[in-house]
Amino acid sequence: MGAVTRVPGYLGVGLVWLYRVTFGALFPTTCKYHPSCSEYAIQALKTHGLVRGSFMAGWRLLRCNPWSRGGYDPVRPKTVEPR
Amino acid sequence: MTHFILYAIPIISSLEHIARNILDWIHTRLGITWAWSIVVLTVIVRILLVPLTVKQIHSMQNLQRFAPQMKEIQKKYKNDKQKQNEELMKFYRENNINPAASCLPMLAQLPVFISLYYALKQFSKHPPPGPQDFSWLHFVPNITWHTNTFWGGYVLLVVYVGSQMASTLFMSATADRTQRILFMVMPLVFVFIIARFPAGLVLYWVTTNLWTVGQGLITRRLMPRPAAPEKRTSRTPPKDDGDGGENGAEPKEPEPKPKPAAKAGPPRRVRRKKQAGRR
Repeated sequence: MGAVTRVPGYLGVGLVWLYRVTFGALFPTTCKYHPSCSEYAIQALKTHGLVRGSFMAGWRLLRCNPWSRGGYDPVRPKTVEPR
Repeated sequence: MTHFILYAIPIISSLEHIARNILDWIHTRLGITWAWSIVVLTVIVRILLVPLTVKQIHSMQNLQRFAPQMKEIQKKYKNDKQKQNEELMKFYRENNINPAASCLPMLAQLPVFISLYYALKQFSKHPPPGPQDFSWLHFVPNITWHTNTFWGGYVLLVVYVGSQMASTLFMSATADRTQRILFMVMPLVFVFIIARFPAGLVLYWVTTNLWTVGQGLITRRLMPRPAAPEKRTSRTPPKDDGDGGENGAEPKEPEPKPKPAAKAGPPRRVRRKKQAGRR
């Protein structure tokens, strides 16, 4: 995978960072999952790109509700050959 | 810069419209000032979030009962944060703990916050026609002004810091001391950024924080701590070490445990009181 194809994913990562330094810091909360939702989003975007990564991050956010159990939930690695 | 980025997203402008319409509705229907409309809007949002927060407070109380074991895990893996978190999560799962904090309820407040921010910005640029009362309680002359431009704003900021700290005390679920301290110190740092926000937004913040504190106080008083369905962890350990041993959390206080083992009921209560006192 070329560096260019990874650009959209990194744009997403930038947005997550923007969230982290603004609202994430203003409304501090601890996530019930490990890695935390924002960390998960960053990893998912880096590993799976913008589209799939965003869906994964969104799904994780929905799971991170008061009724869920939380726990260790890492981003699944890509099934294709590693970079 | 971020303003341009955010304004480029159409959702932002529609959120701003919605906020403005709701505020307008509250203002005209209830016949209250714009500032009080913000307070009412905040209260409405928080009422809608009550089911989520009550659940959160419950699970937090549940979490506090396991504080000693969790501290033990943190101590054991203090040099390896990653491993520490993993072990903690495993501990939650094994003991059926539902950690209190979750991202969704917090995120639910984000759209309100963003829309209010932009609505207030628009208010200052294009105020509604006719004479308008933007003041609040005699010490805030105009809620669309930047908070650091008048003395009442500084009062508001002090109240913000206090209320933010108090709400952190009630709502931050983390048992990690450093993290708790960090959360407590944060408002002191952010107050410098917030000082440049419209006063109405700080009003929203103060209201939501005070609501959190009030809710915390009421739930603590009205709702007894969950009747310990997971008692097994405190009942069984004296006989077999298996419970704590799984997580490597048991060896903390080996001596006091065997004594209360004969009377399982009362000592547990004493322990709980101690925990509550410490907080």
